[in-house]
Amino acid sequence: MNSTHSTNLEGVGELERFRYDDKIVKAFVLATIAWGGIAFLVGLLAALQMADHRFNFGVSWLVFSKIRPLHTNAAIFAFAGNAIFAGIYYSTQRLCKTRMFNDLLSKLHFWGWQGIIVSAAVTLPLGISSSKEYAELEWPIDLAITLIWVVFAINFFGTLARRRERHMYVALWFYIATIVTVAVLHIVNSLAIPVSFWQSYSVFAGAQDALVQWWYGHNAVAFFLTTPFLGLMYYFIPKAVNRPVYSYRLSIIHFWSLVFIYIWAGPHHLLYTALPDWAQTVGMTFSVMLWAPSWGGMINGLLTLRGSWQRVRTEPILKFFVTAVTFYGMATFEGPLLSIKSVSSLGHYTDWIIAHVHGGALGWNGFLTFGMLYYLVPKLWNTKLYSDRLATQHFWIGTIGILLYIVAMWTSGVTQGLMWRAVDETGRLVYPDFVETVLRIAPLYWIRALGGTLFLFGWVMMTYNLWMTIRLAPRQVEEPEFAARRLLPVASEALGSTWHRRLEGLAMPFTVLTVISILVGSIFEIVPTLTAHTYVKPSDQVVPYTALEQAGRDIYVKEGCYVCHSQMIRQNHWEVLRYGPASTLEESQYDRPFQWGSKRTGPDLARVGKKYPDLWHFRHMIDPRSVISQSLMPAYPWLVDQKIDFKILPKKLEVMQSLGVPYSDDMVTHAERDARAQAQQIASGLLADSPVKNLEERNIIALIAYLQRLGHTTQAPQPPPEASSEDHKDQEAGTSKVHSAREGGES
Amino acid sequence: MSDEIKNPEIQPNLILDDEKAMLLNHNYDGIQELDNPLPKWWQIIFYGTIVFTVLYIGYYEFGGGPSLRQEMESDLARIEAMRPKNAGGDLLAAVQSALGDAAVIAEGQASYAGKCASCHADQGQGLIGPNLTDYHWIHGDGSAGEIYKVVADGVADKGMPPWGAVIPADEMKSLLVYLLSLRGQMRAGKPPEGVEHKPN
Repeated sequence: MNSTHSTNLEGVGELERFRYDDKIVKAFVLATIAWGGIAFLVGLLAALQMADHRFNFGVSWLVFSKIRPLHTNAAIFAFAGNAIFAGIYYSTQRLCKTRMFNDLLSKLHFWGWQGIIVSAAVTLPLGISSSKEYAELEWPIDLAITLIWVVFAINFFGTLARRRERHMYVALWFYIATIVTVAVLHIVNSLAIPVSFWQSYSVFAGAQDALVQWWYGHNAVAFFLTTPFLGLMYYFIPKAVNRPVYSYRLSIIHFWSLVFIYIWAGPHHLLYTALPDWAQTVGMTFSVMLWAPSWGGMINGLLTLRGSWQRVRTEPILKFFVTAVTFYGMATFEGPLLSIKSVSSLGHYTDWIIAHVHGGALGWNGFLTFGMLYYLVPKLWNTKLYSDRLATQHFWIGTIGILLYIVAMWTSGVTQGLMWRAVDETGRLVYPDFVETVLRIAPLYWIRALGGTLFLFGWVMMTYNLWMTIRLAPRQVEEPEFAARRLLPVASEALGSTWHRRLEGLAMPFTVLTVISILVGSIFEIVPTLTAHTYVKPSDQVVPYTALEQAGRDIYVKEGCYVCHSQMIRQNHWEVLRYGPASTLEESQYDRPFQWGSKRTGPDLARVGKKYPDLWHFRHMIDPRSVISQSLMPAYPWLVDQKIDFKILPKKLEVMQSLGVPYSDDMVTHAERDARAQAQQIASGLLADSPVKNLEERNIIALIAYLQRLGHTTQAPQPPPEASSEDHKDQEAGTSKVHSAREGGES
Repeated sequence: MSDEIKNPEIQPNLILDDEKAMLLNHNYDGIQELDNPLPKWWQIIFYGTIVFTVLYIGYYEFGGGPSLRQEMESDLARIEAMRPKNAGGDLLAAVQSALGDAAVIAEGQASYAGKCASCHADQGQGLIGPNLTDYHWIHGDGSAGEIYKVVADGVADKGMPPWGAVIPADEMKSLLVYLLSLRGQMRAGKPPEGVEHKPN
């Protein structure tokens, strides 16, 4: 075997002895298993809530709009996150022939991360949320994430610096890209000004916020669910199958093209919206260009099994790995497809996207993790897997579960997308009632829930199998000792014959080059967008929310309304027919955070203001089925019980003012008084139907004020109390700037 | 290096005969690497999508291709042209000739239940919106034409949505016939609002 010559004898020092830290790997492995169960269980609850509203149980912290962020955060950061760390800590030590840099940092990383997960599990159901998808956690937790990520980075790069292997293997390249990019994404997207310990306003507004959020959101998929898992694939598949990686040069070209191109793709979440056209075009085309780089990883994963395919029939670990990479290939074909503008116009806001992400999350991330766990647990506990048969059964049950899930959601998404756009020969919508399109797909939600149940059951089988494996393992002896020679510095020419081979020996320049690759697209897209609002014509300027409307908006955010309702009428004719004129850039220019949404389980709300009377909203919030008998929406009766926090309103307006929203000092000072006056006015029209006293102090009043304002951005939202309906009419038709937001509240 | 202590679990990699020439001198924890060439079909996708990007951006951003808004506006103009002309006049004539027809009333009642009952209550007795079974009207005089106007255009002030673009002509006809049949039923519900207009 020629393998012993991989390290040049020249440039090595004395022989050093060391042990790997497998304790920390075990801890991350156990955490992965435990959080996986919770993520899947919460997902199943959410699936049931979609199928039947009664699964919301009328409990404010169990309602779908709180559970869905909990599910996504648990799946991404708790389950996949711990899996990544387990795999990285295991493989990095072995690929670098050294123990992790510092045991204390490893422990701090582990416990810090678990603490963050627990705080997420507590705060999200309570509605403490910034509403930015996959980044919902509020600023104190964001700071903790930053701190722990830095701990991880120091620990990882410290390990790289102490490595006893001259070159970095491709898995390590992907880990490097993950660590630096997640840091950049998290910090930029979380920039916010605190209002209180539990709330903050994004420094970005409207279209900027949307762009930054989906630059983050898409690259959370790219650099948290793709690059680290590709790294794990590059380590665990060759190890499990004992075959060389298919193509070194393919790994170079697909790594660099992937990290360079991925970062540009975010705007494909915002096609046909009010985001400037050029950004949408760039987002779409770069997504299309991602197809080949993504498939490069799939080729290297699958073709590494060349000549060993018969083993897939008998070895459950390989079954999981091969299926995971196949799902990766499928999801990374579907992604570019969905990014094409015309395809997005059909699929966006529908369950097609849900099918797409679960193909990736359950198939690629889930199955790769399960394969890795079945590989790691016997190795770490120095034993054999308790039952190969049970693992094989887990594989089949899980696969059937995923297929039921995604086929149901594909069908649902395409069905609803086609119903939304159907126009008859007289130019009318064929399905003008939104609820009609929901009822058509509701049966598919049961099939999805069945798929999820099977996937969860597979997890139970795996947990039992791994638990028995650990229980029957021999008492642990000391971790084995290894020895390798220390590396001494050498001239870069000695590192290899090609420039890239030399780069693989230089951790710092490699990292810097990776950072540059991801910054190019980021700067190109974000920087021009930051100035987009300065181009809004003075005649199009919008009036900021009144203090009460802002309070209502914050309730809208905290209750998670954006989970099911968009506020973005896209530039498609069927959207205009259904919801009114397409949304414009300036309409959300003061919105922090933006609320364009990403899924329509209910209709778009961008122009819902004044479409229905206050009483309609009042009854609808308390019991949606009292006004729309077939509605799937959960009831929000607690809005009538909870009280508006009037005292904090001056502070809220002050923060908004500091961010550039044109509130006068007077409006800030009198925010509380103005809000109370407006609340009194709305409540007076609802008193006859109110189950409680002091209705004017309740959250529902603020929420109604906000909802009635949506789509009416260039005029005062409230007629003066003494105004007759004729005056009101003049106000609607006439020049808007005369009635400033404040006059409405004060008069 | 023979003096290193290697993981005893590391097995020699399986190398196929046609791969021996491509095996690189790389070894990481027992993982070796081949240097297979990039598959042709993969290169076609890779370079093909880059060419597509250049052409697409060139046309839409620099070559005078239509903006999304322009595309939407031409679609809306096409939809507008599909709308039947003088629908209102034909409709009112059709309503007149179907007044009192039990089958049409039943159709209208079904569409009322889906679209109107949430605000005007199941029997038309009024809830969020006014009672439709008395002779009092807030907008208009309760004639077929005036009711059509309110249903089709809505009353933005009062939260009555415009249904004209939503309800097809057939359904609108039966709905109006049903609404006209409600007049004077005097069901107990919301008290009368507006001005009384008794039909002659």
